[in-house]
Amino acid sequence: MVVALVLMCIALWSSNSDFLGASNVVNTTRQISMLGIFAVGIAFVIITGGIDLSIGSVVGLTGVIIARLSSTQTGGLGYPLWLGISAGLVAAVLVGVVQGLLITRLKLQPFIVTLGGMLLFRGVSQTIVDGGVISMGDSPLLGLASGGLLHLGRDPLIGWPLLIFAAVAALGAYVLHYTVLGRYIYAIGGNREAARYSGIDVNRVELLTYVISSGTAGIAGVCYAAYIGQMSQQVGVAYELYAIAAAVLGGCSLRGGEGTIFGILIGASIMRVIDNGINMFQIQYTDPDGVPRIWRLNPNWNWIIVGAVILVAVILDQVVHMVQAARRLREAAARKPVAGPPSSTPPVAEKSPST
Amino acid sequence: MSAASDRETPLLLRMRGITKRFPGVVALQGVSLSLRAGEVLALMGENGAGKSTLMKILGGVQLPDEGEIYVGGEQVVLSSVKDSKAQGIALIHQELMLAPNLDITSNIFLGNEGVKGGLLGPLPRARLNARAAELIAQVGLTIPVTTQVSRLTAGQMQMVEIAKALSTQARIIIMDEPTSSLASAESEQLFGIIRRLKQAGIGIIYISHRMQEVMQLADRITVLRDGGYVGELDREEASHDKVVAMMVGRELSARYFPEKRAQTASEVMLEVRDLVVPGAPSGASFSARKGEILGFSGLIGAGRSELMEAVFGVTPALSGQMKLDGKEYRPERPRDAIDAGVYLAPEDRKRHGLVLPMSVAENTSLPNVSSYAPFGWLNRKKERAVAEEGVKRLRTKTPSTEQAVVNLSGGNQQKVVLAKWLAMAPKVLILDEPTRGIDVGAKAEIYRHMADLSAQGITILMVSSDLEETIGMSDRVVVMHERRLKGVLERHELSQVAIAGLMTGREPGAGVHPPGRPGSSVEGKVVRS
Repeated sequence: MVVALVLMCIALWSSNSDFLGASNVVNTTRQISMLGIFAVGIAFVIITGGIDLSIGSVVGLTGVIIARLSSTQTGGLGYPLWLGISAGLVAAVLVGVVQGLLITRLKLQPFIVTLGGMLLFRGVSQTIVDGGVISMGDSPLLGLASGGLLHLGRDPLIGWPLLIFAAVAALGAYVLHYTVLGRYIYAIGGNREAARYSGIDVNRVELLTYVISSGTAGIAGVCYAAYIGQMSQQVGVAYELYAIAAAVLGGCSLRGGEGTIFGILIGASIMRVIDNGINMFQIQYTDPDGVPRIWRLNPNWNWIIVGAVILVAVILDQVVHMVQAARRLREAAARKPVAGPPSSTPPVAEKSPST
Repeated sequence: MSAASDRETPLLLRMRGITKRFPGVVALQGVSLSLRAGEVLALMGENGAGKSTLMKILGGVQLPDEGEIYVGGEQVVLSSVKDSKAQGIALIHQELMLAPNLDITSNIFLGNEGVKGGLLGPLPRARLNARAAELIAQVGLTIPVTTQVSRLTAGQMQMVEIAKALSTQARIIIMDEPTSSLASAESEQLFGIIRRLKQAGIGIIYISHRMQEVMQLADRITVLRDGGYVGELDREEASHDKVVAMMVGRELSARYFPEKRAQTASEVMLEVRDLVVPGAPSGASFSARKGEILGFSGLIGAGRSELMEAVFGVTPALSGQMKLDGKEYRPERPRDAIDAGVYLAPEDRKRHGLVLPMSVAENTSLPNVSSYAPFGWLNRKKERAVAEEGVKRLRTKTPSTEQAVVNLSGGNQQKVVLAKWLAMAPKVLILDEPTRGIDVGAKAEIYRHMADLSAQGITILMVSSDLEETIGMSDRVVVMHERRLKGVLERHELSQVAIAGLMTGREPGAGVHPPGRPGSSVEGKVVRS
């Protein structure tokens, strides 16, 4: 996947040198970061073998709550910004707690619970904005998306979203790969019963993963509110699918037990580079009349390309797995003679003294 | 350790008057059990006798309704897996409880990392790896501890489970059917380790259906029946017949296996010639007559199941010919085999043989549903009638044909699998481990049904790892070794020594035959690659 990502970038850059231009790079990394933040969160759920379809709605809900409480424009209540952000994040965490409790205590299927949550919280957002749009005006929040460190002309080299993503990813990687909790998450995804019989409080760990997933969606929601500046019920629609795709491209199995944070980083990058690439990709040519022209991808192909890339990626992955499995089988067959003590003797066994 | 010196050893564990009720059933009724340090206690009983419930209570998975448990003389309450572990009790399940996606170290210390700081405490990998290496060395494993568990053999996984038990300083280890998925060499290794654990003063509760193992290992045997305590035997006073009688509550008829009819040479039903199965080094040839029970012996991984899957069309053979009842037979998928009258009762009943949540009737009609729905709608009445006939014929114990098969015992589930195929007039019935996990009483019944079927002219191919069963039931036995046919033994040549010899790779004709039959008829039937 890393190779695929690099190849994609090289291809885009050679077709359009603006791809590595300062403003495009800053914009694309911002997009990758904002997706990456909640893709890291959903990875926790996916590795336990669960799924969270509600995070797109949580992204929207957080943003809408901030706009409603803190915007000074029409529809906003004009409370201080910190109050709006806190309320949005608290709401996101609460969504995770409630869904997590329904899944672990009532033993409801995660797909159904979070599907319900996805629709319900989308509706809550719609009600909050009353079907319209609340503008953030020139709120200082907007600086969260546009600002950052090390300014290079107008654009910050390291935007705040990138820093937040780096922090979330680092923390996520530490928890997942270096702590007891991370080990439990993998164990639950690999064999839930084994985890239970090992004395692990499976319910508690699973509840935590749903809170982490919703919580990171809340953080991403704050970033998107800052980035978009105009909150409507449409913000965050289908983002859960982007996050799931990023996780799968990054090596997570929906069966659970597999996946790494580094993989998520790569998966999120691929998703966003494709998005960006559809706009950037161009072929310059001269038509028969000698007029230089530029051929671009049809923007309507966006979903076709995204869908195709995901399918090709998982097909390749599966083929590699099957080839490896077949090779292991062959190796095992070749190694077999070591299995039973009397059988280790070569075909001349008839001559050897029988025991 | 003799029974006499046992008496002086302090009691490690005592359970008294344990009763457990579930809605509608009493799973355990006043059961008592005791275990001394350095002792192997075999716990025996048919399926449904209450062994698993008793062990779940010890493992802290379930709480008893009545009764007391004493560990080291002190009364304890085991209300969670953690409590049970804290008392030094470790439970090794029949279906191994390991996470295949994690390495050996992670599995050994899962839930027991010994880390301060709760869930967010950092994992001390180096320390855990070093400790894990010590532990697996104790159980005779010499592979890197960072090996992912999914790459281990069943035997190695069993050893990892034992290492895991040792890591918790367990004083009491419960093993539930530990050898059910092991090849015999691996079982021997396990027995060696059990003896070492005994010497270290660990008490072991050993649950098994295999009488030979129990006689070999156990110091005492406790028998349960229908949730009740039947009695206890010292090894010296125990005998196969005595234990079985206690388990089933009656003396089994002297002959466990049905009488063999003299095999009259009848026509060939299935002829297999040079059949090459994916992964096999060479082709396999054999033939089975009408009404014959042809046994297939071999170690785990010898390729028996794979060969059967090729005959049933699950994984089509790469080359070779088959003839069924004189006609060309080339199954590309199970449907082809079923249409031709060749049926398979797979080794893993629960995964491949039955749809567990579906009813007895629905399972019975499954391979043939279309014949119950001539005009597109399903004739449930006919479906039920056929299922009921199957239930009656095999004497399946089920409240009704509408019962979900998941609620039936292993033996009765196997009968549903058989009934499913019998409803369709089989020509060849492939039974892969037909009595695995089935208790003694139900086994005898399955054997009787098999004999009946063969008397009706149905050809049975029986894969079995149980040598006693293979010899008791088969007319002839095909022995496989490393995915190759090693030899075919005739009825009068069958003996544990002969089969085991071929199974472990001895060449036929190298001293496996009874004296006086040098270079016997086997020679001619051996398939040379």
